[in-house]
Amino acid sequence: MLPLNHTDTPPVSICEAAPVPYVSLWGTEQTSQRHHRSPLPVPPPALKLGQEGFKKVCRTEEDSPCPFPGLASGVLEMRVKEGSKIRNLMGFAMARMQGEKGVSGGGVTDGGLRQVVFTGSGRAVTKTITCAEIMKRKVGSLHQLTKLQYKVVKEVWESTEGGTSEMTVHRTVPSISILLSKDPLDPQEPGYQPPETLSALWEEKEGVESASQKTCKRPLGPLPYSSFTHCKRMCLGEGVSVLPPQ
Amino acid sequence: MTEQRNPGMSSIPQTAPRRNDVYVNMKTDFRAQLARCQKLLEGGGHREICVHGLGLAINRAINIALQLQASSQGALQLAANTSTVELVDDLEPEDPDEAGEPMTRTRNNSAIHIKVFYPDPQ
Repeated sequence: MLPLNHTDTPPVSICEAAPVPYVSLWGTEQTSQRHHRSPLPVPPPALKLGQEGFKKVCRTEEDSPCPFPGLASGVLEMRVKEGSKIRNLMGFAMARMQGEKGVSGGGVTDGGLRQVVFTGSGRAVTKTITCAEIMKRKVGSLHQLTKLQYKVVKEVWESTEGGTSEMTVHRTVPSISILLSKDPLDPQEPGYQPPETLSALWEEKEGVESASQKTCKRPLGPLPYSSFTHCKRMCLGEGVSVLPPQ
Repeated sequence: MTEQRNPGMSSIPQTAPRRNDVYVNMKTDFRAQLARCQKLLEGGGHREICVHGLGLAINRAINIALQLQASSQGALQLAANTSTVELVDDLEPEDPDEAGEPMTRTRNNSAIHIKVFYPDPQ
C-alpha cells in the first residue's frame, strides 16, 4: 500500500498497539467479545518470548487522573470490563439515570441522576462506546464529552515451573471515558458532542446534499444480490437528511 | 444460507472523503497506518486529520491517535466523537438452485471519529 521502509518504527514498543493477530470478526458487539475472551490476553509480541511458562496472577490498573476536571464528586461511574454484560451495565445505569420510582428516599431526585461516566480500557473500549450509544438513544437529549488517554496497567506474572520467580510488567493500554450529561457541557471542550447527533455527524463536515448523493451512488445497484464484493452496505437511515446540520 | 459480509471500512459512509480522512482497518499493518497519519500531519501540511474506526478497529484508531499525540510532545490535541453505524448484512442461499429467498439483516455497530489537530495559538 504505502511505500514504507520499516526502519522508521514508531514508538509502539510497549503499547498494545502492536497488532494482536486475531481475525477481524465483524460480528455484533457481544459475539466478538465472546470470541476474544481468553483467560490470558495475548501479551505484546515483544514480551511473548520471555513469558512462556509464566502465568498471570494479578492485574491492577494504576490510578490515572480523572479526564473530566471539575466534575462533581459522586457521579455514577460505570467501569466497563471485557467480560461485562451490556444488559447488566445498562440495566443498572438506566435505572439510576431514570430514577427509581418508589425507592427514592430523598438523596436522588425524582428524575434520577444528571450525569454518568462510562470508562473502559483495552478490549472493553468498544463495549464502552456501545453502552454510551445505547444510553444516548434511550434517554435522549444527552450532552456527551469523550476523552481518550493511556492507562498504565501493572501485571504480575509468576513462573509455572515451580520456581518462585516473579515478573512485573507495566503496560499502557488505550482507555476511553465518556461523560453523558443531562445538563449542558462546555461546547468548546475537545471531544464535546451536542445531543441528537446520532447520525448527523457526517453532515456537519460536508453539505447534506453531497452527503446523500455520494453515498447513494455506491452499491445500491439494480441487482443488489449479484455482487459479492459489496454485500455489506451503509443503510441510509433517517439520520441522513432529516436532521439539519447544527 | 450463507452470509456474505464484506468486512471493510467501505461500510462507513465515506462521505466525500477528504485527503485528511484516515479510515483505520484491521487488515493493514499498524505501523503503515500510523506512518500514513504522521505523513499527513508532518509532510502533508495538514493542520488536522480525522481518524475513523468501526467496531474492532476502534481500538486501533484510538491507539493511532494516542501515539500521534505522544510523539508530538503535546503539540497535538484529540477530540473524539462516537456514533452508531447501521450495517446491512446480505444473506443469500448457499446453493443457487435452492428455493431460498435472499434476505438482509441490519445491525448496529459502534464507531469512533477522532480529530487529531494542532490547536490554534491563542
